[in-house]
Parts: sequence; C-alpha cells; structure tokens
Amino acid sequence: MPSSTLKYAYFPGCVAQGACRELYQSTQALAQALGIELIELKKASCCGSGTFKEDSQLLEDTVNARNIALAEELNLPLLTHCSTCQGVIGRVDERLKDRQESNPAYIQQVNDLLKKEGCSPYRGTTEVRHLLWALVGDYGLETLAQQVVHKLAGLKCAAFYGCYLLRVQAHIPFDDPYDPQSMEKVFRAVGATPVYYRGRTQCCGWPLSSYATEQAFTMAGMHIREAIAQGADCIVTPCPLCHLNLDSRQPEVEKVIGQKLNLPILHLSQLVALALGVNPQALGLNRHIVSTRPVLKKLEL
Amino acid sequence: MQVRFKILRQGPTTHPQVETYTLDVDPSSTILDCLNRIKWELDGTLAFRKNCRNTICGSCAMRINGRSALACKENVKNELFRLHPIVGNKPPDNSSQSDLEKSPEITVAPMGNMPVIKDLVVDMHSFWENLEAVDPYVSTAGREVPEREFLQTPEERSRLNQSGNCILCGACYSECNAREVDSSFVGPHALAKAYRMVADSRDQQTKARLEKYNQGTQGVWGCTRCSYCNAVCPMGVAPLDQISKIKEKILDRKNAQDSRSIRHRKVLIELVKKGGWIDERRFGLQVVGNSFRDLKGLLSLSPLGIRMIARGKFPLRFEPSEGTATVRSLIESVQSLDPAQQVEDTTSDTPEPVGG
Repeated sequence: MPSSTLKYAYFPGCVAQGACRELYQSTQALAQALGIELIELKKASCCGSGTFKEDSQLLEDTVNARNIALAEELNLPLLTHCSTCQGVIGRVDERLKDRQESNPAYIQQVNDLLKKEGCSPYRGTTEVRHLLWALVGDYGLETLAQQVVHKLAGLKCAAFYGCYLLRVQAHIPFDDPYDPQSMEKVFRAVGATPVYYRGRTQCCGWPLSSYATEQAFTMAGMHIREAIAQGADCIVTPCPLCHLNLDSRQPEVEKVIGQKLNLPILHLSQLVALALGVNPQALGLNRHIVSTRPVLKKLEL
Repeated sequence: MQVRFKILRQGPTTHPQVETYTLDVDPSSTILDCLNRIKWELDGTLAFRKNCRNTICGSCAMRINGRSALACKENVKNELFRLHPIVGNKPPDNSSQSDLEKSPEITVAPMGNMPVIKDLVVDMHSFWENLEAVDPYVSTAGREVPEREFLQTPEERSRLNQSGNCILCGACYSECNAREVDSSFVGPHALAKAYRMVADSRDQQTKARLEKYNQGTQGVWGCTRCSYCNAVCPMGVAPLDQISKIKEKILDRKNAQDSRSIRHRKVLIELVKKGGWIDERRFGLQVVGNSFRDLKGLLSLSPLGIRMIARGKFPLRFEPSEGTATVRSLIESVQSLDPAQQVEDTTSDTPEPVGG
C-alpha cells in the first residue's frame, strides 16, 4: 500500500460526463475501492482533443495551461482517465515546462492571457498523469494484486491503448511507445490474461468518424477482428473516445467490414473495479452498445 | 556480443518467412553495419536499400523492432536497451530476465503501406506519386527572377527549417494509420512538404494550394491524428504538426458550411465556449446533421441515437463546467489576438536546416 493516501486533481473530460458516463462512475468506484482521493476539477474545461491546436497552438496551450493551473492551485497531480486528454494536456505541460527555459516570452504571453481572465498563472509545478500510470506507478501493481477479491481468471483481454497515450508526449513513463506493457501488466495483476495483437497501439478511427465514416469504421473493424482472431474475450481501453468508436459504433463497423464482431469493449476502470468486487451494475456494464454479458458470464458474476 | 537478427524475408509472390542470422557485433554497430555483414559474410541473397550510411539519403528505412526507422541511425546497443524491460517492468511470462540477456534478438522487417519487392526492399511508387500530387515545387511565377535573386529574410527562411529537413525516407508513410484504410490520402510526407510550400514566402499559389489540400480526404482531412508520423520521423519533421498548420490556415479562411470536417472543428470550439465541456448531443446534431440542414447526415446518426437511448447510454442531461464564462472569455481573447502581436513559439521545435 502506498505510504500515504493517494490524492489527485481529477480531470473528468467531456466523454465521461456525456456518452460514456459509465466511465465517470467506474473511475469513482475504482478510486473508492482503492482508497484513492479524487478532487474533481469542477472549473476545468475540454482539452480540445487535438482540435484546439488546429485553430492555433496558442489556443491549445492557453486553455490547457488553465486546466493545469487549477491542479497546481491544489498542489496535486492532475489525473486523467482518457488517453486523448492525457496526450493533449500532458504534451502542453511538457512544452510549457520546456518554454519556461527556452522561450520565457511565450510563457509570459500565456500567463498574461490567463491573468486577464482572473485565472492563476501556469507555474509548471505539477504532473499530468493517466489513471493507468497512477495504477502502475503510484499505487503499484503488487499492491493492486493484493486488493483483488475476484480474480478475473481465464478472461482474455486485448488492450487498446489509444494514440494520444503513446505517441503525443515526447516522454511517457513506464512504456516503450511501440511496445507498451502497462495495460497488460494491469491485466495480469487482476488475474486476467493479456492477448497481444497488432492493433493495440493503432488508431481506432474516431477522429475521422464524423465525416469519413467508411475509413473510420474500417480501421476499427480491422483491430477488433484481429483481437478476436487472437482469442480475446474483450477489448479493454484507457480511452473513452476509442470506446465510442469500438463499442457504440460497432454495429456500423460490422456493416462496413461485412462481418459480425460482437466483441465487448471495457473501460480500464471497469475491468479493475470488477476485480475489486464492485457490482457490475454500479460500473454501468449494462449500458454498453455491445453487450458485456459474455464477459460477466465467463467471470461468473 | 552475440545478437540474433530475425529478418522478415519475402519475394513479390512468396509468403514472408523469418530468417535468423547470428552475428558477433560491437554494441555500437548500426543496424545497417549488421545488415551489411550479414549480406557480405553470411547470405548474399539478402536484399535491402542503402547508400550514404549517415542519415542523409533516407534509403535504408525499414521496420526495426516494430517501428519504421533508418538502419544507419539506430544501433545495436539502443535497440537492446529498448527491448529490455523498462524499470519496474517484469519480463513477459514466456521469457525470463536471463533469457533476454543471453540471446538478444533484433527483428527487422520491410516498411508497411507499400508492397514488398524483395526482403526489405519495398515498391515506393505510391509514395513518390503522392508527393507529386501536392505540387511540391515553389510556384513558377515565384521562380521568375527579374533582376536579382528572390531574397528571403532569415525569419522567412527559418519557417521552412523543420519541414525542409525531410529526407523522404518513407518512415512516416510506412506507419501512417490513415494510409492503411484510405488509398486516396496523400500521406504525411506529402503534406509536410505541402506545408513547406504554403509557408514559403516566394510561393504565389497559397490560395490554390489551400483549396487543393482541403479537398475530401486526399489532403489534410484524411489524417486521423494517430501521431505515428511525428513519433517515427528520424529528422524531427513532425509531419502531423505541419498538417495542423495547414488546417489552421484553411480554418482561418473557411466557415462551418464548407464541409463536415471543417464544421467538426468550428462546432467543437463553439460548444466549449458555451458549456466548458462538449455537449455531445449538440455536437452530433450540429456537425453531422448540420443543425437539421443535412437530413441525410441526421438520418445516418439516428441508429446510433436509438441504440444509445435503448441501452440507457444516451446522455439525457448536460452539466456545463463551473468555469464556462472564464473559458469562453479566454478563448475569445486568444482568437482576437493580433497575429502581429503574438510571440512566436518556434524555439525548440524548429531545428536548423540539415544539408542542402
């Protein structure tokens, strides 16, 4: 057990408050089960999911400097539970920390904009951490394994990391971006069996799904099919945007690739919380588009 | 030290097969040094491209331990370090720590997204054709030199450094996730070059270029932002960042009615201004349904909506962020900044030019 209670400034993100409310619920349940304290950033805002940067780098930097400064005010690390939020906010933090040395005038500009709106300035005194890294690095996998009350024995899990968790920050802790193992280690810690397949580090297609559906769904279909071919009972993702394209759009994905898939897609928080004995209903597992019943049946839950 | 090289070999009509070669190598040897020794000492039939040996020509791109890289840039020591479990990581169940130390392996495979001719040599036709498709030359009008050279200020030239460093090795194209599902998409190398033209003060075709790069999914909107190009580029060109800069210029000139991809961007920012977070119900309605103007688009969303309602997944309420008013005002301040007044953030993302 970590020596003192783990405490984070929790950044919920848009999707967990909207189309994936089950993620919001599950992260709360997981934190409670592990005795992790989450202080929700009620004044935070959308990270832009990569789109602010297409308007201007300054917009992405300023809006997210504000998000980071909210966590700095609390003297807490900012916790994300979405690969996209992590990559965007984590990269901004990395860049701004670098600019404090290399281009102080740029930081000044960001802080002047924040000051004008009465926001705290960006100081570069905290860290941006995904829930996955908090489990692996802060809580510890051995400690996690000790908390498991319902081993997920026999469940074959295929990780789907999400691009932004692996390749947007210049440095990520614990993992090689081309051969990450953190998710698979969590699977082992809760008694499940990891399934390896090429798609686990690839794009789910979500960014294209509003206007290039054929491409977006072909991408998703390719990965789900591979996971099934490797014997997966489910895909587990630390990214709710991946979840949307892999779960909510799976019926359309099936149409595009002309094949039935029916593979349950779980959020990372849901999988871990199941092993900690949290009731599946409380994790919103009944509210997925692709039924999660086969997973629960296999786990005899 | 002894290293086993597992090389994926194939011909145009034969199935890929892994062949293993064991070499006694110095850890500082590049992967290209090792391939040369395999070819010269062990098996003359092994085919791969090579030329300068010095990260300049871009000939020897291939997949080394699972990602596209230059064989002349990566060395044995770094590759083995990568394969080693990172601090705190335990080796996978099927191999013990001592296994990893005893017989290190390096895997080498041909690049992706292009057909294999033989072993590590791929057919790069589509790569070159797609580069040509973006018209990668400073426009003719700009090249007519009247009395003296066409001068650029050092600042103007420095804007071309990052994209100009591309050596056209194909690493980004090989890993591009969008290319894999969309043969019309020109790819990251071409769009990085396209930005180089858009940013060039001598080029006089900016408007026409932006129209062209805005088309369908051939241009910038075909990119799925997977970031593989940024991650694997051996020259720090950051193609995705160049694609974003082209999008920025297009978004400056276009409104939400121009296309769904543009509407996606504009609506997202508007919704953040309205609620701090994105109200996904409105996002779908406004982006895909174009606020009831695009009935076909709206209809395409209805199965999703019905499914979500049936499963209790549809968000019935939306709670704006408590910081909405501040965020709205902040976004408006940033968007109304005079570009001339902005501090340029070019520092460490813009390396000095390499070579010619």
